[in-house]
Amino acid sequence: MNVLLFAAIILYFAASVLQFAAVAAKKAPLHRVARILLLAGFAVHTAFTVWRGIAAGRLPLANQFEFASGFAWAAALLGFLLYLRLRQEGILTAAMPAAFLILSYAAFQPREIRELMPALRSTWFALHIGSAAFSYAAFAIAGGLGVSYLLRLRKGKEESDPQLKQLDYVGYRMVCLGFLLLTVVIFSGAIWAEQAWSSWWSWDPKETWALITWIFYAIYLHQRLRLRWQGRRMAVLAIVALVLVLFTFAGVNLLLPGLHSYASQ
Amino acid sequence: MKKLFPFLRSMRFGMILLVLVMLCSLAGSLVPQGEQAMTYVRAYGASAANVLIAVGITDIFHTWYFYLLEVLLCGNLVLCSLVRFPAARRLFPALKEHTKSAEPEIPFEPGQTEQAEAFLRRNHFRRDGNLWFKGAAGAYGSFGVHLSILVILVFGSLVLMTPRIQDETVMPEQTLTLEDGTAITCLSFHIEDETGKLDYASRLRVTSPDGKSVAEQEIRVNEPLRFGGYKVYQQTYGTAGRVHIRNSANNAEETLYLTEPCFLSIDGKNGIFFRALYPGYLEEEDGSYTLITSTSMGYPDPVYDVQSVTDGSAASVLAFPEETIQIGDVFFTFLLPAEYPGLRIKHVSPVLYGGLYFGFGLMVVALYLCFFLAPVCVRVEEEGFVLCSPKARDGLLISLQAALQDERPTGGQS
Repeated sequence: MNVLLFAAIILYFAASVLQFAAVAAKKAPLHRVARILLLAGFAVHTAFTVWRGIAAGRLPLANQFEFASGFAWAAALLGFLLYLRLRQEGILTAAMPAAFLILSYAAFQPREIRELMPALRSTWFALHIGSAAFSYAAFAIAGGLGVSYLLRLRKGKEESDPQLKQLDYVGYRMVCLGFLLLTVVIFSGAIWAEQAWSSWWSWDPKETWALITWIFYAIYLHQRLRLRWQGRRMAVLAIVALVLVLFTFAGVNLLLPGLHSYASQ
Repeated sequence: MKKLFPFLRSMRFGMILLVLVMLCSLAGSLVPQGEQAMTYVRAYGASAANVLIAVGITDIFHTWYFYLLEVLLCGNLVLCSLVRFPAARRLFPALKEHTKSAEPEIPFEPGQTEQAEAFLRRNHFRRDGNLWFKGAAGAYGSFGVHLSILVILVFGSLVLMTPRIQDETVMPEQTLTLEDGTAITCLSFHIEDETGKLDYASRLRVTSPDGKSVAEQEIRVNEPLRFGGYKVYQQTYGTAGRVHIRNSANNAEETLYLTEPCFLSIDGKNGIFFRALYPGYLEEEDGSYTLITSTSMGYPDPVYDVQSVTDGSAASVLAFPEETIQIGDVFFTFLLPAEYPGLRIKHVSPVLYGGLYFGFGLMVVALYLCFFLAPVCVRVEEEGFVLCSPKARDGLLISLQAALQDERPTGGQS
């Protein structure tokens, strides 16, 4: 069934390349083909995820490979749903490479199906890890939109350009969604930790980095909502914040072992 | 003082505190916490280790300055909330008044009034004449978020700083009696379930001090037992040796668990000195034994390392399960080892837990109100419309203008 995984990666890659080509050439038909490829990749990715869930007999989000795959799936889904609502090609330009890169990272992780360890057998598992996947996906799209925004500025567009304003606004809304979900991740994790280990908070590296990420986004939101920061500064903050998210997601597992070390297996 | 108070309740001060908490957390995640001094000397060298220890970075989450940051953040949130609540109460009425009196800022083309009204209806706006509005509750979102952080900080700190935790090992079929008389009996413990899956489960019976209330439950990780004000967790497990002792002089018998070195004797002089239980052994060609210390594979071939003590002289002996050593009238029969649970017994304060849960729930609801139900007022006139919202203006404007162009957003771009 690995063929489904690699097919999804190839389809996401092809969609990303075509999307960039469409942006460069300003050709609407290419956008359409890119969208079809994204949908095809998403369908294949969904089939792979369902197969893995059935084979494992549980939600396939229990280790680094499965979580990265879920993260990529959530990025593709969120990107497409948001595109359907706002018809903004910039969203797909951010979501497609995000899905491709994250799923490619997943492909380099150990893929064998393992029995769920006792600590993960909890009713909080789905809420905690599922909301983390969607939260990270929202932040990834926000960071991607930030990159897209800065690239367009470099091409000579003005901050007052309506298309750039839309990118800026959509990026901010993605951060709002991601922040709400990250809050759910932290609280569900705290309640779960109390059930499993008797302590709400242990300053475990994963917990601590989730808190660091949360504080950074809280600062982002205050700058946006209170100080009315917009445009370039928000794009830069979204990109820096995405680096924190990626470190919390992958770097902590590699460099800072702790209670969440099973996630890197 | 006139400048200090506004600063203490300002967002700038709050941001400074958050950045400092973030930096402390960063340091705390990069430098191992609560280790022995020698660990830091080995990792960073003597002088750097001295600095880290002196500054408290080696236990940063329990330093005075980290607690001070928390207190200051609480103070900032209290002051901020005090200011925000009246402002939140005034926000929606003020927004309505402002919308009523403002000049239409965005002109309509002919026929767009109906489109705008249809859009507002689709988006669940309520109508009062030509004034459309929604999100009255959202005005309290920001206040709620700040209040919830305060609640979480206060109750979370109290929960973390006032733990009443007791870690105990209880052997199967033995009873542990707590200070208040509550009795916890371990009926059984197993590592694997009947299908061979790792399970680490203990069946416990808890009896209240007056004996009237009894609860029985199998506990495992994620499934603690709640009883009265206690929560009992399956925390760890271990393997203990077992020895059956029979005194042939009076036919008295007893089975004991062996978890640490001890001297088993009836007269205090002659008996068995238990040194250790090993999980396995290798028999060498010359008939000697090499003992295996690694317990990673369990205890496949357990062996007891003991000394038999008779009349002041001791001899080392390896005893295997079912083997009996006789010292005088006393027979020591070594049995297969038994697995036992390590329990964590926590006294739970419903008030503190309730406060913390309330804080969690409040923050999620308040963030939703803040981000997705922000107050918005729109006045629709023949010549154009007025759109007022402190937080949702940009988004609604984009959506509304897109709807006016094409009944639904079509702002495609490359």
